[in-house]
Order: sequence, then C-alpha cells, then structure tokens
Amino acid sequence: MDASELQPIVQFLQQSVPFESLDEATLATCCRSLTVGYYSKASSFVPLDPSHPQLYIVRSGAFEVRDISGELLDRLGEGDYFGFPSLLSGEEASNRVAILEDGLVYHLPPDIFNLLRTKSRQFDRFFNKAFAKRLRHQGRFKARELTTTSRITTLMSHSPLMIDMKSSVADAAKLMRKSRVSSLLVIDNKKLVGILTDKDLRNRVLAENLDGKLPVHQAMTTTPITIESNSLVFEAMLLMSEHNIHHLPVVDNGQTQGVITSTDILRGQSSQPLLLIGEIERQKDLPSLILVSKQIPLLLQNLISADARAEEIGRVLTSVTDALTRRLIVLNQQMLGEAPMAFCWLAFGSQGRQDQAACSDQDNGLLLAHEPDEAAQGYFEALSKAVCAGLNECGYVYCPGDIMAQNPKWRMSLNRWCAVFDKWVNTPDPKALMHCSIFFDMRSVFGPQSLFDGLQDEVLKNTKGNDIFLAGLTGNSLTSTPPLGFFRQFVLERDGTEVKGIDLKHKGNALINDIARVYALSAGIKEVNTAKRIRALMEQNIINRKDALNLADAHEFIAHMRLSNQGYQYTHAKPVTNYLMPKDLSSLVRHQLRDAFKVVHDGQVGLKLKMMRSY
Amino acid sequence: MKSIYLKSKLRWRTLKTSNRTIKHYYRSVLGNLSKPLLQIPLMAIDLEMTGLDPKFDQILSIGLVPIHNGMLQLGKAQHKLVSIDGSVGDSAVIHGIVDRQLATAISAKEAMVWFLSQTQGHVLVAHHAPLDMCFLKAEILRSLGEKMSFVAIDTMSLERSRLLRQHEVLKEGSLRLDACRRRYGLPVYAAHNATVDALACGELLLAQMVAIAGKDDLNLFDLLR
Repeated sequence: MDASELQPIVQFLQQSVPFESLDEATLATCCRSLTVGYYSKASSFVPLDPSHPQLYIVRSGAFEVRDISGELLDRLGEGDYFGFPSLLSGEEASNRVAILEDGLVYHLPPDIFNLLRTKSRQFDRFFNKAFAKRLRHQGRFKARELTTTSRITTLMSHSPLMIDMKSSVADAAKLMRKSRVSSLLVIDNKKLVGILTDKDLRNRVLAENLDGKLPVHQAMTTTPITIESNSLVFEAMLLMSEHNIHHLPVVDNGQTQGVITSTDILRGQSSQPLLLIGEIERQKDLPSLILVSKQIPLLLQNLISADARAEEIGRVLTSVTDALTRRLIVLNQQMLGEAPMAFCWLAFGSQGRQDQAACSDQDNGLLLAHEPDEAAQGYFEALSKAVCAGLNECGYVYCPGDIMAQNPKWRMSLNRWCAVFDKWVNTPDPKALMHCSIFFDMRSVFGPQSLFDGLQDEVLKNTKGNDIFLAGLTGNSLTSTPPLGFFRQFVLERDGTEVKGIDLKHKGNALINDIARVYALSAGIKEVNTAKRIRALMEQNIINRKDALNLADAHEFIAHMRLSNQGYQYTHAKPVTNYLMPKDLSSLVRHQLRDAFKVVHDGQVGLKLKMMRSY
Repeated sequence: MKSIYLKSKLRWRTLKTSNRTIKHYYRSVLGNLSKPLLQIPLMAIDLEMTGLDPKFDQILSIGLVPIHNGMLQLGKAQHKLVSIDGSVGDSAVIHGIVDRQLATAISAKEAMVWFLSQTQGHVLVAHHAPLDMCFLKAEILRSLGEKMSFVAIDTMSLERSRLLRQHEVLKEGSLRLDACRRRYGLPVYAAHNATVDALACGELLLAQMVAIAGKDDLNLFDLLR
C-alpha cells in the first residue's frame, strides 16, 4: 500500500515545519514509519522510555516540558515536538513531559529521524536550533548552589586511621598525637564498632580518673552515626548539626570507606567565592595572602564543574581579583601611611570587563586627583610597585605590555589621563586604536567613585557620536574575523609547527567584546562588562532585540566552551590555553559553535554598516 | 461472566469447523483473550460497501490498522479493494472509488482469505461493529461456506453507553465517528477511505479507553458488550 491512503497524516506533516522541506517520497516513508499514541492527563507524564528514544510529534492536546528541578522549559501544542534532545545528543532524556490536555501524538523512530536529517539540511538545522534554544533556556533559568550539589567523596579522607578495640586508650592517644587527628575509627575483626574522639578521651577517661591502660572499647562511642559515600555535603552537614557531632564515618554496605569531619567541610567551603573573599580580607600579610590565592584555580574548577554560566564565572573570579587588589593596597598603605591625595586603582581589559578566567595577567593603572609633587610621586611609586609585585606573586603575572600602575606612564593625574584619552580619540593612529581594546574597558577597583566618574564622563563625552574615531575603531576591530571557513576546511592557526585548534578567545569572545565596545562608546554607555553593555544597548534600542540576544547568547556559548575546555585541560594536566581542538567536539556542538561564530560574523557586518558608512 | 460465555462459544466453534484456516484463526484469538488488555493485539478495521444490506450489497474495500501496546502502527496499515459484480453505481460518489480503480481489486474470496490471515490473533475494533461483522460473516459464508464468529470492540456502542451514563440526551448524528472524535479533541480528517476511517476509529478507541479507565486498570471485557 502507498501512503496516499494515509492522506490526512501526510497533509498534516506537509504543513508542519520542518517536514514541509521533505520531498514526497521521503514524506511517505516517514509517514509509514509512525506509530500513534494517545496520552491522558490521568497519567500526568508521558512515559519516556530511555532505551527507546523517538521524536514525539504533537497532533492534538497540550504538553509541558520541565527539567529535573521542575523548571518550565517549553509549552507544546499541535505541530510541536519533543524528545529530540536525546535523539540528537544520544544522552538519556532528563526532562519530563507533563500532559496538560489529553492528546494524540505521533512517534517517529530514531532511524527515520536520522534519515530525514541526512535528506534535508533544513530538517537537521531546525532540530539543532530547537535543541540549542532549549539548552540556553535551561542555562538561563538554572540556579546552582555548590554546597547542595557536591558530594562528600570530594572532601572526606579516604584512608582513615583505625585502631583495634582491645588496644589501650594510651596507644590510641599516641596514634592521634602522631598523626595529628582528632578521632580514630575503632574496629573489631575489620568491622567498624565505634569511634574514639578527643572528647571521649577527656570525658570518659581523664574526667573519670581512669588510666591509659583502659581498653579503647570502654571509652569509645559505640555504633556511631554513619553516612554513605554518595551523600551530599549538605546531608553530612545536616546530620552533624542534628546530632551535635563533628565526625561521620563513611560506610557503604558495611565497608568502611573513610571519615568526614566538620573541618573537612569547612575546608571545602573555603573554595567558595564568598568565603574566599572573606578570607582574603582577613589576611594580615603578603605570604598568607599568597597562600589563600592558591585556592583560586580550585574555585575556578569548582565553578566549571558545577556548570555555572560563563558570565557568572567571570564575575566571580573578577570579584576575587578585586578583593585581592584592594587587600594588597590596604596592607601596603598600613606600612606606607596615608596617601597624600585621593586616588583610584584602575582595572583595564578583562578585569575591567569582569570576564577573567584562568591565566589572566595584570592590566592596571593609577588615577590621581591632582598633579603629584615629588614626595607624592615617591609614595605612589612605592605603593603601586608593591601591589603589582603582590599580584604577580598571587598568580596574576606582570603584564607583558607593561600596562601596569608601577609603570610611571600609566600613573597620572586626572587631567593628564583625560589628555591621553583625548589624543587617542581625536588622532586615532593604529597604536592608539590598539590601546582602545584595553583602556576603554576600565573600572575603578579602589578609591572614590566621583574621581573615576570624572574621567569616564570626559572620555564618553569625547567618543559619543565621534564618527571618525568610531569608524577607526570599527576598522581596527574588523581586522580579525571569526573562523567560519574553519568548519568547512579545518583551516588551523599554526604556531610554529604545532596545530593549536580554534582560538576561542581572540576569534570569538574578543570580537564580541569589540563590537559591544564600539556601540557602547558611540552611545556613551558607562557599562564595561560585555553582557551588560549588550543589555544596555538593547534597552536603548541601539541594537535590535533579536540581534542583541543572539550576540549575548553567542558570547555566553563561546565563553562556556572556552571555560569547559580549560576545565578539561586542567583536570587532564595539560597546559591551559584558549585553543579548542575540533576533533574533541561532537557534530552537534560543532554545529552550534558554527552558529555562534555566524552570529559574530553578522554582528561585525552590522557594525561595519553602521559605523563606516562615510567611507 | 461475559468472558466465560465468549470463550466457550469460540471453543465450540473451533471444535465444529472443519476449515483448518478458520480453526487456526479461532485458536490464535482464544490464546490472546486472557492477556492484559495492552498486550492483546487489536486491529482497527473499516469496510466500505455498496449499501447497507448485507444480503444484497457487497464489500468494496477493507482498511486495517493494527494497535500494538496501545499504539497504532501506521507502518502495518493495509488497504485492499474488492471486485464486485456489476458497477459501483451511485455509491461511488460516496466512496470516491471509480470502476477503473477496481481493476487492481482482488476477488471477494481472496479478500476474505487475506482478511483472516491479517487479523489472525487480533481482536477487531470498528465503529458500529455489528454492521461490518454482518458483511464479513455474509461474505465468508458465501465464499468459504463457513459460519464465522468474530471478537470485536464497537466504539459506537462504547460511546453510547458512556454518554447515557452521563445522562446525556443522544442527538441525531451524535454517535457518528466524526462527532465522537470531536468530543475527545481528536483532529478532523477530511479525506475518507477505509484506512483513514480505520485509523480514525483506532484513535477514538485509545481516547475512549483512557476516558473509561480513569486511573483503574482496564480489561478487554470492559470494552466488549
């Protein structure tokens, strides 16, 4: 029989994007492969069989897609689809589909789905786009908390100290002193029978006037409360506070795996941003500050593994850098004394834009309220040298281009800074334009806001509507283009002999930063963070809503790829770089990355049209 | 009660018939009757006839769509045109079948053999099943010389008793297939042929099963009456 007998179904598909792009024969094959089911509200959710993924085509009724945490991702009616993410990614469906209204659903098996993807580019693109959209949706709405999602295995000690129950408490105390621990697990015949803590030795031995020969089992806490190794840190905290204890043996199926203490949990917490910043602010000298800064890479890894948004990661890491900078200034001022005049510590480049990641270098300068005399010169030289050296020791290496406060060239009064910016804006020679990408993304980290505003207002007054400068800046930003051809022919950038892959920073995020900067300067917008700039541009109707959202999403997507790539490099003990190897990507991600680069390309074209018309 | 009566009737028929195809047909259906409803293979069917009287009118086409595990299987949907004595006459206007198309048709006897082999082991599903069953029985008696018995779910009688239970007044035409489907929000199918109507009837049954069951488990004999 031919599919013409099933005319109503063929007709329905012919009217549904993207099935309308298929030729008649393919459509007939597709039609013949369908099964039809009816889903009722009474069963609440569509039973998605993980071993049997398929494309669900809604013919009637209403459905809702929600993620594991119950967050609404999509609402579906006639002609909508679900089930395609697991078909595309090959991963098990994690979303749930709730039935709002009874409805008829067509099921398309995976082999036919893949056949259609190869037959029609439009079909393939449609579902990839829908998938990307749903992913973004998911990212946008997900709030993540580290304490509540990480597991105790990452924090517990895996080789706990044990002692036989018949040993004496004196031996136990000696073992504890030797290994500097506050508790021992007590075993009998390899089985956990109790736990012995400092408190037990005090309360049950010393306070009772007993001597050290007492066997351990008479002093220990018997049948201690235990926890399983796959429990959440949060659950361990809960157990400890409920029973007012500080030690939890970790036991799986009767097998002792380790022990987790309240100190372990506290230590784990310290790699969280707020605690880390708190700790930075408590440190009293450079060596202890350097020690604390050693936790920054761990913080970055935690944020990456918790799948935080790239924009959030950038802002969190930058707040840590800001805190570190401020603390260094305060500590040095304690030695040097009060400053002779008001000043601002300026952050440029990535710290200015709040998108720092791994291996950031310093870009900073000093803004002084007045022209300094010789004594003031000496004071600020000493201060800035000490702060820059401190940052260097904390892992923020010296700027290779010497754009640092310790360089007298970038330590100036308000008037002279204004003059320098004036020169860049009004005689935009190539070198000046090069400086723009760093200096125009500036933020004050320390000092009175009014002083900084004085500088920024002056700069924006000069750039706003300055056609010649903006055209020059645009031309400069267009010298680098996104690697679109890359995906066709794998043109790789070469550094020496080694193939490096796609440069996600300079061919991706930096270009979006450039686009946002030119627009922001043209409109006199004060924001320097790229996402905030784009948002402000959208609100002031300088970029239309669709382009702005696309640009922001592309920025986030590329930055996210860059960070997760760096997370991968870090955990595999490879050098951390901005380069992504295309062979490491699934075809889906390659698709999405190409779409993101396409957005960058479109953004550049739009910028050129707007800013360089007079040429 | 219903189940015991039905099963013993089928067993009796199995014993009595000497036609091996039909004996086998009964056995395969009997073997499936005690299974849970979802595991019983169902076959939504629709016949198109030259008229409404099984004594004079003839079957024009047969459409089949199997329902396995509560899912209609479009890939296994089938359609056969049946050749008739004389011309389609006036009713061709209704069914859109013209004499020319009937050239690809098979004989009524071939159609019955084909029908029995395709629906073996299946419980039939039809809208206004008694009429379709009458036609099938008459044709089998005529061409195979056998008095046949089928197990069939009638979506129209399911709908009638459901409406009566809700104290609805049955209006003229309220039990027609399209009217029933509209009550469940099922799409309107413009085209009509035996396969589309079988599909439409199968979809209606799925919706009815959900409505009748609520949250309870349903068994086959709740649907047979």
